[in-house]
Amino acid sequence: MNRIPKITLLVLFNGFFILPATAARIGDISETSVLEQALRFFTFQEPSVRYALLGSIFLGITCGLLGSFIVVRKMALFGDTLSHALLPGVALGFLWNMSKDPIAIFVGATLAGLLGSIVVHLIKQTTRLKEDTALGLVLASFFAVGVCLVTMIQRLPTGNKSGIDKFLFGQAAAIGADDIKLMAIITALAVAAITIFYKELLVTSFDSGFARVAGFPAQAIHYGLMLLLAFAVVIALQAVGVVLVSAMLITPAAAAYLLTDRMSRMLMLASAFGMAAGALGAFVSFLGPGLPTGPFMVLAASVVFALAFLFGPRHGVVMRWWRQHSRSRRMQRENTLKAIYQVLETREGEGDSVSLRELAQRRRETEDDARRQAYELKQHGLATLHDDGDVIFLTPDGWEQACAIVRNHRLWELYLTHAANIAADHVHEDAEKIEHVLGEEVVRQLEKRLDYATTDPHGKRIPSLADMRQRGAQAGRSEDTVGYGRRA
Amino acid sequence: MTSLFPTFDFHRVFVAPWTQDLATQGWVMLMGFFVATACGLVGNYLILRRMALVGDAISHSILPGLAIGFLLVHSRNSLVMFLGALAAGIVTTILIELIHKKSRVKQDAAIGITFSSLFAIGVILISLFASKVDLDQECVLYGEINNVALDFPYVSLGGFTLGPPALVRMAGVTIVVVLLIALFYKELLVSSFDPGLAFSLGINATVMHYSLMAMLSVVVVSAFESVGAILVIAMLILPGAAAALLSQRLPVILLLSVFHAALSSVLGVHLGLALECSPAGAMVVMGTLLFALAWLFSPSQGLVAGWFRLRMKPLIPPDTDQAAKFKV
Amino acid sequence: MTSNLITRKNVAERNGNAANPPLEVHDLTVAYHKKPVLWGIDLAVPSGKLVGIVGPNGAGKSTLIKAAMGLLPVSSGWVKVFGEPVKKNLRRVGYVPQRESVDWDFPVSVMDVVLMGRYGRLGLIKRPSSIDRDVARECLDKVKMLPYASRQISNLSGGQQQRVFLARALAQESDLYFMDEPFAGVDAATETAIIDLLHELRSKGKTLLVVHHDLPTARNYFDMLLLLNMRVVAFGPTEEVFTHELLQKTYGGRLTILSEVAEAVRQKT
Repeated sequence: MNRIPKITLLVLFNGFFILPATAARIGDISETSVLEQALRFFTFQEPSVRYALLGSIFLGITCGLLGSFIVVRKMALFGDTLSHALLPGVALGFLWNMSKDPIAIFVGATLAGLLGSIVVHLIKQTTRLKEDTALGLVLASFFAVGVCLVTMIQRLPTGNKSGIDKFLFGQAAAIGADDIKLMAIITALAVAAITIFYKELLVTSFDSGFARVAGFPAQAIHYGLMLLLAFAVVIALQAVGVVLVSAMLITPAAAAYLLTDRMSRMLMLASAFGMAAGALGAFVSFLGPGLPTGPFMVLAASVVFALAFLFGPRHGVVMRWWRQHSRSRRMQRENTLKAIYQVLETREGEGDSVSLRELAQRRRETEDDARRQAYELKQHGLATLHDDGDVIFLTPDGWEQACAIVRNHRLWELYLTHAANIAADHVHEDAEKIEHVLGEEVVRQLEKRLDYATTDPHGKRIPSLADMRQRGAQAGRSEDTVGYGRRA
Repeated sequence: MTSLFPTFDFHRVFVAPWTQDLATQGWVMLMGFFVATACGLVGNYLILRRMALVGDAISHSILPGLAIGFLLVHSRNSLVMFLGALAAGIVTTILIELIHKKSRVKQDAAIGITFSSLFAIGVILISLFASKVDLDQECVLYGEINNVALDFPYVSLGGFTLGPPALVRMAGVTIVVVLLIALFYKELLVSSFDPGLAFSLGINATVMHYSLMAMLSVVVVSAFESVGAILVIAMLILPGAAAALLSQRLPVILLLSVFHAALSSVLGVHLGLALECSPAGAMVVMGTLLFALAWLFSPSQGLVAGWFRLRMKPLIPPDTDQAAKFKV
Repeated sequence: MTSNLITRKNVAERNGNAANPPLEVHDLTVAYHKKPVLWGIDLAVPSGKLVGIVGPNGAGKSTLIKAAMGLLPVSSGWVKVFGEPVKKNLRRVGYVPQRESVDWDFPVSVMDVVLMGRYGRLGLIKRPSSIDRDVARECLDKVKMLPYASRQISNLSGGQQQRVFLARALAQESDLYFMDEPFAGVDAATETAIIDLLHELRSKGKTLLVVHHDLPTARNYFDMLLLLNMRVVAFGPTEEVFTHELLQKTYGGRLTILSEVAEAVRQKT
C-alpha cells in the first residue's frame, strides 16, 4: 500500500492551511456566475471558505477510510444506526456550555454512540430479537430522545442562535477554526490507526475465525473500529448532518469497491471519492443562501457510485453487457467463417468463393441473415464481397481464423472420442461450444496429446498450422499451396 | 438549564388534555394511536422477515416522491402526493434489488446507498423550492402532529363530524391494514416463516413481498406528516419488538402491538406537554420506555427473569438415545 | 462402548512417551441459548494421526473444533493443546475453516490470503517480510496455485478456493491442524490433491483433525475416526470403529439408506 504519497498529501494540506484565524462566519456569496464562483471557491479567494473546503476534505478522507471497512464487513446499517444515535449526545454537548463547543459535542456524541452500540449488543445477547430489529430500535429511540432535546433547546431564548438545527442536515459554512483542528486530529488518528494496524484490520475483516486462531484479538479490534467510526461520524456531523452522514461512509467506499480488487487501492479510492464529493457538495451549497451541505455531498457521492456501478471497467453493468455482446458477436463471426470453410471444403477445390445462397443453406438461415453476417465479416476485414454482396471471398486473415476455428472444433471432437471415450455422434454439440474458447496454449497441448492427428472422428481433415498460413483462397492454386485444395 | 425543563404543572400536563384541551389534544392522541397501530401492525411482518431496516429505507426515500407530488399540485392533502410517495417506495425496492443483484455490493450497503440518495434528493428539492413547498426540513424529520387538530374543515359524514381530514385518512388506512392482515393472515404468516412451503402452496413470494412493500409505503406516507421520516421507524418497530418479548404467538403479538400503540400515544402526549417538546418524539420516548419495561420484566426473555434463571442449573442433558432423533 | 474410547490412560500406554498429546479434551460441554450442542466430550488425540470427525447434521462437529480452538464459549470442561491451555498454545494450531464462512468478493488476492497464514507469527503491527512472501509462494506452489497468486479470490472455482485455504494453513507451519469439511464441493482432482497433502503432513509428524461429510470416503481417508453425535459415540482406529453397530448408533435408524456404507461394511466383515 502506498502510504508515502498519502502522508505527503496530508502534510501538505495541513501545513498549507492551518492558519491562525478567528472563526469567520461565511456570508452568502453574492450573485455572480457559477464559473466565477467556482474559481473563487476553489482558489480560496474567500479566506473563510478555506474552513469549509478543508473540513470537507478531512471528512472525505476519514469517512472514505472507515467506510471501506464498513462496506467489506457488511456493517452499513450499523453505521446508519450509530449516526442517528449520536443526536442526543450532540444535544447534550450543546447544553453543556449552551454553545457550539466542539469538544463538548465531540465527547457527548461519542458517548451516545458508544452507549447505542452497547445497547444493540445487549439486545442481541439477551433477547430473541434479531440484529436488524435491535439496530432499528436503537436508531429510532435514541434519535427520538435527541429530537425531544433539540425541540426543547430551540424553545430556549438562546436556542435559535445555537445552530443546533444545522446539525440535522449539515452546514459546511458553520465550520470554524476549532472544528478544523479537531477534524485534523481525528483524521490523522484514523490514517495512523489504519496504516499501523492494516494487516490486523484486513485479516479480522476477511476471516475473523482464522484471525482469532492466529492470535489476534478480533473483538478488541472490532471495538476499536467502532470507536474510530464514532469519531469519523462526529467530525462529519457538522458538514453532512446526522441524517445523511452514514451515506458519506458507505457510498464513496461502495463506489471504490466496484472499481478495484485490492483493499489498499479501495481505501485510497474511497478517500479520494469522499474528498471529491465533500468538496463538490460544499461548493454547491455555497451557491445559494441557507442551502444545507449534507444532501449535496451525498448526491455527489451517489453520482460517483452510479458511474462506477454502470461504467466500472471490470464490474460495471454496462461494461459487462458490452463484453457479453462483443463475445456473442465474435462467436457469430466465427460460426460464419466456419460455414464458409465447410462449403469450400465440400466443393473440394472448385472455385475460391462462396455464394450467399450457399452460405445461407449451410447455416440454415435466411439469405438476409447471411447477407448481414457477410457484411459483418467485411467490416472486420475477414472477407471481401463482390457482385452486390452475393459472392464472398475470404481474406488471408479470414482464412486463418476460419482454419483455426475448424481446427479447434475437430481437435476437440477427436479428443472427446479418444481420450474421453465418447461416441463420435455425441461430440458435435460440445465442440460447437468449446471451439470458441480454446486458447492457443490448450490447442498446442491437444495437438501434442493427439499426436498431431490430421483427421477428425468423421474423417474430415484437421487444418494444420501450414494450412492457416497459406494465403487463403485468393492465393490460387500453385504448387506450394497447401490446404483444402490438396489431395493428401 | 432551568428553562429547559418547564415548570411542572400537574393540571396542565395530566388533566387538561382530557378536559378543556380535549378538542385539540384528543385528536393528537387519536392520531398518534392510529399512526402507531397501523405502523406497528405492518412492522411486525418486517421484524419477522428481518427487514426492519428496509422500513427505515422506505420511510426516508418517499421524501422525493412527496416533494415532487407537492410541487405538481401545491396541496398537502392530495392524492398526487400520496401516489408520488408510493411510487418512490416501489422505486426504492427496485433500486435496492438492482444494486445488490447486479453487482458485488451487498444488500446492506445497497439499502443505505439507495435511501440516502433519494432522501438527499428530497431534501434538496424542499430546500430549493422552500417557499413553494409547505414542508420545512424539521417537519420532515419529526413531523408536526399538533397541527392535526388545526386542519379545518373537519370531515362530516351524514351529519356526524368524524374529525380532521388527516385523522380520518389515517383511521381509514389503519382499518384497511387490519382488514388486509385478517384476510391474508395465513399467506403472510407462511411466506414470512417458510418461503419454501409458501411456494408449494401456490403463494407467490414476489407478489407478497411487493404487496407488503406497497402496504408499508402507504402506511409510511400517511404517517409521515404526523411523525416525520425518521420517527416512523420507531412506530414500525417498537410495538412489535416490545410485544415479541412478551409472547411467541403471532395473534397475541399483534394485539399487544395495538396496546403498545395506544399507551405510547397517550403517555406521549403527556410527556410532550410536560417537557414542551416535539409530541412525536415524546411518543417514541414513551414507546421506548415501555419496550425497556418489557425487556426487563418479560417472564420468558426479560433480564430479571434471566438473572433468576442463571442461578438454576442451566442445561438439561440430552437423551441417551440421541441418535434416534437425527434424520439422515 | 468404553472399549472404543481411547482414554488418556491408554493413549499414554499406546504412545509411551506422549505425556502431552496434541489435543486433550475433558468433559467439554457447549450450549447455544441454553440448548446443549456438545455434551461431556472426553478426547485424547495421539500425535501424527489423521483423524476424521463424522456424524449427522447438527451433531456438533464444527462446534467441537471451534470450541477446541477457543472460538466458542464453553459451559464446562477444558481443552489442552500439547499440554497447555489452548489460548496459550495457538501458535501450534492451524485452521482451515469452511469455505462458506468467508465472503469471496473481498478485495484481496490469492497471495494476500496465503500471507495471512504468516500473520500469526508476526504478532501485532509487524508487516510480512520477504521471507514470509517466499514461504507463501512455496505453499502456493505445493497446492499448484502459484500461477493464480495475483488473482482476486472470487475468480476461482470451489476446488481452487479450497486449495488457497490449505496453502494458508500450510503457511502457518503448525503442528496441529483443524479442518472443517475441506472436501465439500470440490472436484475429483482437488480431492486427490488434498488427501495427498494431508498424508504428507501426517508423514511429517503433524496431527490433523478433519470434519468430514462423506461416510464412504471416511473409511479410506483417515487413520482414526471420531463418531460424534452430541456425545462421543466412538473414537479409535478406523477399522475398529467403522462398524455397522456404531454407525447405527451415530446416525440413527436410517443407516440402511446409505447403501454404499452398508456395502462397505459388508465387504469388510
